[in-house]
This record gives sequence, C-alpha cells and structure tokens, in this order.
Amino acid sequence: MSRLLWRASLRHLLHHPWQIGLSLVGVALGVAVVVAIDLANSSAQRAFFLSTESVVGRATHQIVGGSRGIPEDIFRALRIEAGVRLAAPVVEGDVAAPEYPGRTFRLFGIDPFAEAPFRPYLAGMRSGVQSDLVAFLTQPATGIVSRGTGRQLGLDINTQQQNTRDSLLIRVGSTQHSVKIIALLEPSGELSRQALENLLVTDIATAQELLGMTGRLSRIDLSIPSGERGEAVLAKVASVLPPGAEVRSAAARSQSVAQMTRAFSLNLTALSLLALIVGMFLIYNTMTFSVVQRRSLIGMLRTLGVTRAEIFSLILAEAALIGVLGTAVGILLGVILAHGLVQLVTQTITDLYFVVSVRELTLTWFGLLKGLGLGLGATIVAALAPALEATTAQPRAALNRSSLETQSQRAVPRAALAGVCLLLFGGGLLLLPSRDLVLSFGALFVIFLGCVLLVPVTVVVLLQGLQVLVGSRMGILGRLCIRGVVASLSRTAVAIAALMVAVSVTVGVGIMVESFRQTVAYWLESALQADIYISPPGMVSRWNEQTLDPDLVARFSAAPGVDSVNTYRRVSVESPTGRVQLVALALDARQSTSYRFIEGAPGTIWPAFEDGQAVIISEPYAYHHELQLEDVVRLRTDRGQHAFRVAGIFVDYGSDQGLVMMSRKTYEQFWEDRGISSLGLYVTPEHDVATLVASLRGLVAAEQEVLIGSNRALREASLDIFDRTFTITSVLHLLTTAVAFVGVLSALMALQLERERELGVLRATGFTPRQVWVLITAQTGLMGFVSGLLALPVGMLLASVLVFVINRRSFGWTLQLEILPGLLVEAVVLALVAAFLAGMYPAFKMARTSPAVALREE
Amino acid sequence: MAQKEGSVGGRGLLSLLSLLILVLAGGAYVLGKPHVSGNIQAQVSVMHVLGGETDGYARALEPRVFSFPQDHGPHPAYRTEWWYYTGNLETQSGRHFGFQLTFFRSALAPRVAARHSAWGAGQVYMAHFVLTDVENSRLYAFERFSRAALGLAGAQAEPFRVWLEDWSVQGAGQNGLPMHLRAREGEVGIDFRLQSLKPIVLQGDRGLSQKGPEAGNASYYYSLTRMPTQGTITVADETFQVSGTSWMDREWSTSVLGKNQVGWDWFSLQLSDGSELMFFQLRHVDGETDAFRSGTLVRPDGETLTLQQDAVHLQVQEYWHSPRSGGDYPVRWQLQIPAEDLAVEIIPYLPDQELSLSISYWEGAVRVHGSVQGEVLQGHGYVELTGYHKQPRDRAGRVGRARPASS
Repeated sequence: MSRLLWRASLRHLLHHPWQIGLSLVGVALGVAVVVAIDLANSSAQRAFFLSTESVVGRATHQIVGGSRGIPEDIFRALRIEAGVRLAAPVVEGDVAAPEYPGRTFRLFGIDPFAEAPFRPYLAGMRSGVQSDLVAFLTQPATGIVSRGTGRQLGLDINTQQQNTRDSLLIRVGSTQHSVKIIALLEPSGELSRQALENLLVTDIATAQELLGMTGRLSRIDLSIPSGERGEAVLAKVASVLPPGAEVRSAAARSQSVAQMTRAFSLNLTALSLLALIVGMFLIYNTMTFSVVQRRSLIGMLRTLGVTRAEIFSLILAEAALIGVLGTAVGILLGVILAHGLVQLVTQTITDLYFVVSVRELTLTWFGLLKGLGLGLGATIVAALAPALEATTAQPRAALNRSSLETQSQRAVPRAALAGVCLLLFGGGLLLLPSRDLVLSFGALFVIFLGCVLLVPVTVVVLLQGLQVLVGSRMGILGRLCIRGVVASLSRTAVAIAALMVAVSVTVGVGIMVESFRQTVAYWLESALQADIYISPPGMVSRWNEQTLDPDLVARFSAAPGVDSVNTYRRVSVESPTGRVQLVALALDARQSTSYRFIEGAPGTIWPAFEDGQAVIISEPYAYHHELQLEDVVRLRTDRGQHAFRVAGIFVDYGSDQGLVMMSRKTYEQFWEDRGISSLGLYVTPEHDVATLVASLRGLVAAEQEVLIGSNRALREASLDIFDRTFTITSVLHLLTTAVAFVGVLSALMALQLERERELGVLRATGFTPRQVWVLITAQTGLMGFVSGLLALPVGMLLASVLVFVINRRSFGWTLQLEILPGLLVEAVVLALVAAFLAGMYPAFKMARTSPAVALREE
Repeated sequence: MAQKEGSVGGRGLLSLLSLLILVLAGGAYVLGKPHVSGNIQAQVSVMHVLGGETDGYARALEPRVFSFPQDHGPHPAYRTEWWYYTGNLETQSGRHFGFQLTFFRSALAPRVAARHSAWGAGQVYMAHFVLTDVENSRLYAFERFSRAALGLAGAQAEPFRVWLEDWSVQGAGQNGLPMHLRAREGEVGIDFRLQSLKPIVLQGDRGLSQKGPEAGNASYYYSLTRMPTQGTITVADETFQVSGTSWMDREWSTSVLGKNQVGWDWFSLQLSDGSELMFFQLRHVDGETDAFRSGTLVRPDGETLTLQQDAVHLQVQEYWHSPRSGGDYPVRWQLQIPAEDLAVEIIPYLPDQELSLSISYWEGAVRVHGSVQGEVLQGHGYVELTGYHKQPRDRAGRVGRARPASS
C-alpha cells in the first residue's frame, strides 16, 4: 500500500483530535474497568487459594466433624489402633487482632511431630530439641508468624529495636489474649510469603487453650494413596471414627468453599464487561464516523484505483492503533484502579463468605494479556463493520452523500426486525429452565443488543411524531434541528444508540442495587424484632461462630428488665452436599412472627419445628438444593447422619449459601455443643431499652468484649455491612457511568464537528453565530434527551433481568424491583448534561469561524 | 448498486452486534476461569539448638540405690533417658537378622507450666526401629517422634511399658519379665518375647557410669545382657520364626559429654562361653580416644568385672566409607583383654549399617570370633559408632548416646 494512503489516514486522524482522543479515553476506561475487576477477582481467588494451600498442605483427605470439630481421642485411635500414621491433627480458628483494626489471623494449631508430610514449611520445626521448639511446645500462649508479617506489624522475637514488640493481642469470641511471638517463619519464596501472611502458628495445645477447644480437634489431615491401597486405609480410618465424624476429600472441601464466590465473581465480571461494551460502542461510533466523514475521500481513492483490501486494511489499522494505545493506557489505569478495587472485593468476600485477606495484587502476564486481548479484540471487532462498510462503497456512489442517507433510511426497518428477533431469542434463552449463569448473562446481552437495534426506528418515530406535534410552532430553527437528526440517520442513530447503551447500563445497575437494598431493609425490619441484641464482636466476617461466655449469658438473662430471651447458635455442619450453615433457635413466641414463609403455613410449621425435629430452610438454600416442603435435609450430627424434614421455607437475605434452622431443642438432641452465639432480649414495658443496654454493658468484665445494641442499632449495622458489600458494585456503576459520559460527549461532539460545512452554509445564508450556537446545542440536547429517554425502559428491562433472573440464579433469592424516580431523573440529566457539554465546543468553534473558512474546502 | 451497499445504521450495526456477542462470550469465558498455580514452601528459620543447659534438672552425681520394677519406668527429673534393645536372631534354617528397637525420652524443660490442654506435654519421645536382613544385605531403619501426651507415647513402671504409638515394649510379671517387643512400619515388623538368663548388671560404679572428668557428666546405667528371644520377623509378605539373644540397656542422665568429646564407640558382645562384654570409649575432637573408656565383663554366673581404662586393647583393622554422610567408619576390630587372655576379632554382618535418620550414626549387628584362654570363642553382638559422619558437627553428640537432635 502506498505511503500516500497512510499519510492521508494519519492526516485525517490528526485533524480530528477530539474524536480520536475521546474514543481513546473510552477504550481505555472500558479496558481499565475489565482489567481492574479481573485483577481484583483473581487476586482474591489467589489469596484464598494460598491461604487454603498453606493450611491444607498436602493432605488428600480430612476427618471433619460437627460444629465443634471432633474429639481429640480420635487421633490416638487413628495412630495406634488403626495404625494410620500419615495423619496430622489441626486446631484452627479465625481470630481478630484488635491492635491492627480490620486484620485477622488464622490461628493454626499443629503438632510439629506430625506435620512433616503435610506442611513442609513447618517441617523444620519437627526434629530434636530446639530452644524455640521447647517454648513453642511448653509455654502457653506462644506462636509463630512469618518474617514478613512480623516486619509489617513490628513484631520480633527480640525487642531490642525500637517500635518492635514480641507479643500480639488476639481476640477470640469476647475474650482477648496476648500471644508471645517466639519465632519467625522464613518463607522460601514469593508464594509462601503470601500464603503465610495471615497465619499465626501455635502448638496444638496452645490453640486448644486459646480457642476454647480443649479436648477437640478442628480436623485431622490425612494423606491417603489413591487406588486399592487407599481404599484399605480409608476402611481402617472408618473403623475408628465415631458417628459424628467423617472423612472428606480435601480438594473437594476447599473447592466447595471457593465455589461459594463463583456467582459473586461472575456477576462482577459481567458488570465490568458492560463497561467494555460501552467502550466498544464508542470505538464503533468513532470508526463509523470517520468512514462516513471520508466517504468522498474513499470514493476518490477507489476511483484512483485503490483496492478494497487496501481500504479495509487502512480502516482496521487505524482502529488497531486506537485499540493499542487505548488498551495500553487502559491496562495501566486498570492496574491502578485494581489496587483500590481489590480491597473492596476482598471486603465483600469476607463479609459474605469467608475470611480472606489480600495485601497486594497478583499481577500475572496471563491476566494482563487477557486485558490486552479483550481491549484489542473489542476495538478490532467494533471497527470491522465500518471497515467493511468503507470497502463496499462503489467508487462513484461513495461520492454521493445522499445515497448513503437513503440507504440508512431503508435499513431502519431491517434493523428493527433484527432487534425484535434478538429480543425474542434472548427472552427465549431466559425462559430455558437452566440455572447456568453464563447462559443467563448471554441472554441478557442478547436482549440488550436487541434493544440497541430498535433505537433507529424509535428515533425516527419519536422525532417524526415530535415534528408533527410541535413542528409548526418551532420555527425554522426547531425544524432544522429535528430534521437534521432524522436526515443524517447514518450518524445520529449510531450516536444515539451508543448513548442509550451507556445510560441504560447505569440505570439498570442502579435499579438493581437499589432494589436489593430496599428488599434487605424491609426484611431486616421484620426479621429483627427483639429489643436488644447481644453477640461477641464479629471478627470481620458476618458468619460468626464465636460463642458468648456462658456466665455472661446467665448474667444477661437474669438482669432486671429482661422479659424474655431468645438464643441463637450459628454453626457450620457437614452434609452430603458440603458444608451447611445451621442456626439453632430458642424462640420466644413473639419472635416467631419475624419469619416470613414463602412455603408452608406458620400454624403448622412452628409446632413441627419445636417438637417434631423439623427444620426450616431459607429460600436460597431451597433454591440451590432444589428442595421443597416435606423434603429432607441430611446433616452430619454428633449422633451420625440424620435426615431432617423441611417444614417451611423462609425469606432470608443474610446468606446466599442458604441457612438451615432448627429449634434449640432439636439441636441439643443431636449435637453436644451447648454454646450460644448471640442473644435477643425482650424488655419489659416498664423499662427503657437505652438504659437497659447501658446497665447490661456494666455486666461485662474489662478483658471481655461483647456487642450490645438495640434492634435499631443492629439494623443499621446490618445495612452498613450491606452497603459495604455493595460498594464494589456501586463503584462499578460509577465507572460505567463515567465511560457512558465520555461516550455521550465524544459521539455528539464528533457529530457536530463533522457538520462544519453544513453550518458554514447556514452562516453564509445569514445565520448569526448565536443562532448557530442555539442550533447545535438544541440538536445535541435533543439527541441526549432522546437517548436518555430511551435508556429508561431499556435500563428497567436490564434491571428486571438482573433482579429476577440473574440474582435468583446467582444467589437463589427473590428481590422486589424498586424503581426510584430519582435514579431515572438522574439518568436523563446525565445524558442531557453530557450532551450539552458536547455541544459547547463545536458551537463555540463554529460561532467563531468565518463562513468563508468553513466553506473553503470547496 | 444501491442494493449492494449496506448502510452504517443498519447492517453494520447488526454485524457488529453479532461479533460483539462472540467477543463477550469469549471474554466471559476467559475471565471466568481462575488462574492459580504454584507450590508453597518455606523453612522455619534455623532455631538455636539447645546448648548444654542443665539447670533445674537432676544430675547423676553419685551412685544410687536401684529398685525394680520402679527403675524400669521413666525418670522425668533427668533430661534424657533411653530403653535400648538390640539383638541377633536366626531362623531355623540359619538366616540371620539383627534388630534395634530404642525409645528415647527427652525432657523439654525442667519445669513445665500446667496446661488445660491434654496436648500440653513436658516430655518428647523418639524411637528408632532397625532391622538388618543379612541374607539380602538390606537395612531397614525407621524413626518416630511424639509428645508424651494423650497416650501417644510414654513410659511406666508398673506394669512396665514404654511405647511410641504402636511400637512398644510391654513387661509382664514382677520384674517386667518377660518383655514383649512389638514394632511394625510398612512391610517390616517384629514381635518378640524376651526372657532374661542373668540378673540386672549395674554398669560403672554401682550403676553410675562416668563419661567425663566433670562431676555430673555421668549417667545411671544398667543392662540385661543375655535375653533369650523368641518371635517373628516380617519382611514384605514373609514372616519368619526366629530365636536368638537380645541385650537391653537402660540409661538416664542430664549431661554426659564434655566440651571436646565428639562421639563414642560402644560394644555389646554376647560370647559363646556364657559371658558378655560391654565396652565403650569416648573420642576426642582431635581424633584421639578419651581417657574415659570403660567396660564390664559379665561372667557366666552373672558376676561382673569392671574393666578399667587400660584393661582393654582395641585396634581398628578396616574402615568403610559412607557414600551418604561421607564418614569413614571403623568396621573391623581386634579386641584384647590381656588379663583374661581374651582376644577376638569383631566383624559386622554388613559394613553398611549406617542409619540415616534425624541424626546419622552407625549401629549394627556384628559377629565375633577368637579365643579365650586357648579355647575357641565365638559370639555376636552390636556396635554403635557416633560422631563419624562428615556433616556439620553433630552437637547432639554432647548429650548422650544417639540423642535426638537436629544436625
């Protein structure tokens, strides 16, 4: 291809810096959002993988038990009677570090003598008598952290240096302990360093004492060969297990935990892809535009003998240039953005699923290449259509603008038809009885694109209607304004569609978040009915299995002014389908009204619940496990596996994994655990809640920490957590809005800048600069308004699919759609403001340009 | 012509959208896949090896009165203690095996805080189980560790029992006899019943065995030197009925070796004239043998003769180089007791009986032939050689015979 062609292309790009610049920003932002979310997701996943790996080690299987683990005697029986020697006992729990707010440690109690085959990094501690090992084994409340963590927190074994200390304060349940750091673990590589970061390793005796688990083990790790020999070992293991314990594959166990966040991560990824779509529309808009702008040039080139292939390559090369630049900037931006997002993502995962902590991003070439591929791919794909478009132009016709517009007018019904087809197809996909999330998101995108294809026809109908209604009263300027939009549909339709996409995404995501929040707020209102709630301080995670000190419970219950007491016990128990969150309730009759059932009648549910050993399950649990009334839930109890009848399905938004609830009475029949996780107190009418809260706080000893609050305080705290878990979504929403804003700006500005000649003609025929300014502003305003308007129904459609299909399939709960008028107004205002801003510069420029200059190109 | 041309607003949009769907589907797939891999490794920073800390422990300072079966049990006030069983056994067809089963007790600290957890322990046990299969030139060596908690490991006097998980010695009857030895690891196992033909032998000065010039660098030491043994040995799928003779050593101490002592050579020989010989010499850091060498000759009637420094002449006749540790071990000796007119040659059944366990040492079955007062003398026994391997100096050597420690 000749250099001339390239120079022509370059000159074109340089002559339209705004157009190119804004689409660069669009690509960059789109790519940045996707890269940032991907990095945040994968860093969180990696952190989870590492923390799991560091504690699971090379175990192939684990012996696990009920809510309080397994009795420690199993270990001796296993080693001596069954002769299974590749077994290591573990006592572990998450503890908070009050001196470092927000920081948690995994307190990991091991027997150094059994460790070597499992966690090689701890094996160095095994043999012989070493002074630190002696302290580790014989001194209560001693532990080991990694050297990196020690440096970070100013912990060291010798406290000679300034700002170092040799003990770490931890909080278990409501009690604080000081743990002396007696050695530092030296990680041998980057991976290990991250894996060990939040581990506080102690002797198993120390862990039992600190976690209040004397006599119990969290689990026993096993290393069992595969095949027949392994079967034999498993049989031996089984022979010494009491009914409350069972063997589980370690991989399956950590996988099932990792699976918990899958829906969450996928939702984030899908939302970030929405931002990329908006970016793609920007590219598409820009490239289409530059082709349209150069139709006459391209026609001339073709007349001069430039081939189609050359034109095609030229347009694609231009797009690739924008793509490469935009993607490069986008990846950089994304990495920066990810530093902020990763904390939000991990906070949410910790709030909702399990404790995970990421101190840094995991940047992998693979992750960055993914971003590069997506950014470049999206750009090229977006430019393909305009490039093809340019090549199909016949040399002579290409010179003829009006023929293009005629084509566009004719294409409107065809696009509309395709749009309707896509809508039907997408709707059909949604109706498939599948629960697959990728399919659901695919359907969402198809529906979305169907809406986009309906834009041109809607614009034509709307504007023609407008013309008919008010045309005569608008004067020449008004008519010019409306006709201008309809007449140059080849440009305006794309611009309006791009705007609509951008705005509707922000509308859709906004409505979804708001619906969710409102639903949860209503639910909290009805679910929290006791006057005062008491619990151990949450670590950072919502699922808090810590227990209250029994003495405290007795003191609280006996306090004057307390009318009646509900107790809650939250535990995780094993079931054939994985770990289950179980709540044991001792209910006051009044409290029973706080559960709303979607299946089953309260009149029959409660008696069965109290006396019939029946359980009630939350809606997400029923959804994930496809359970109905009268089905059974099998749980591993301390008396062996037992099938509990489902008496009711209740509404709950507290856990997307779902909950199983049983009465305290039933729980105590099947489990030996007598702990109480939290209390709900009813206050006698003659006492004041605030005064009682104060006097209850007086009952707590200094070294203990207990949260005591009114139901209002708890409701607010719960909503705070909710908002925290949705911060990431809100940030995504904001970012998408930013991309949308840039989109509106660039699409409309390009459109107006391209009209230089047309406006020159107007000026030459006597339009004043002021009139030109009004015309441009009115036209961009009109387009902004129309796209804002169109974005409302599309946004609501998007929101409905997100709320009723995606959320249901991701998390299993039913939300109520809440459409806040404020959100809709906001969207239209966003479109209008962006449109107005977009009109400013071209109007300013045109008003100052003399008509002669504008017309000079002829 | 017009029909051929598409339009930007219509067809272009459509083709864009279909491609868009493809890209998004691909993107979702790629992004949805987790990408994690790698291995985790770390080492605990090298911790200080316990020095010669002896404060707070009882010391072996002077002869004491032994009483049984109590003294078969543990003496937790001393830092270190062991129950040491070695023996030579044969099948009826004459296939020879040697075995070692040893339980080491190690106190973690002189005083240990009381703990709520049953895992809290002040004592740690280590055990070595070794089988020498002479016919196949195979040496099987295993070791175990455990804290003395939860019944995983421990020792007791009445009824006598010392165990580490399912390796155990269990005594029946008044003096802990007969003793039942059981150990199995994978495809190798032993199950023996040990009687005793002779009374307990108190080594050194009435059971006080001095190892160095400093007061307290000594142990309490007694032995059962001739223990007829019956039982079975399992190797792979084969089980052999065997019989032969074993030797039990019991020793406890707090501090044994002096500063410049690096290891020792120790011999326990059971001879065809009905006598047994125990002899050890401590080696100095410069390679010289120490002034502290001593032994006991147990006559057929059980009477003992303490052998002083110069009573025994020992000459190394051959060395074996260990390809693993790089150590050069003596593996053939000429031993003479001129006063008894006794001269024997000591030859290992296998030269390579080096144990590559937490610490590296040589402990193996030997046979003996020579003469006493002109009569032919034969026999077998066990030899232990420590401190020869070429790794960084084994500081464990300071504490006692084959004490557990990291090297």
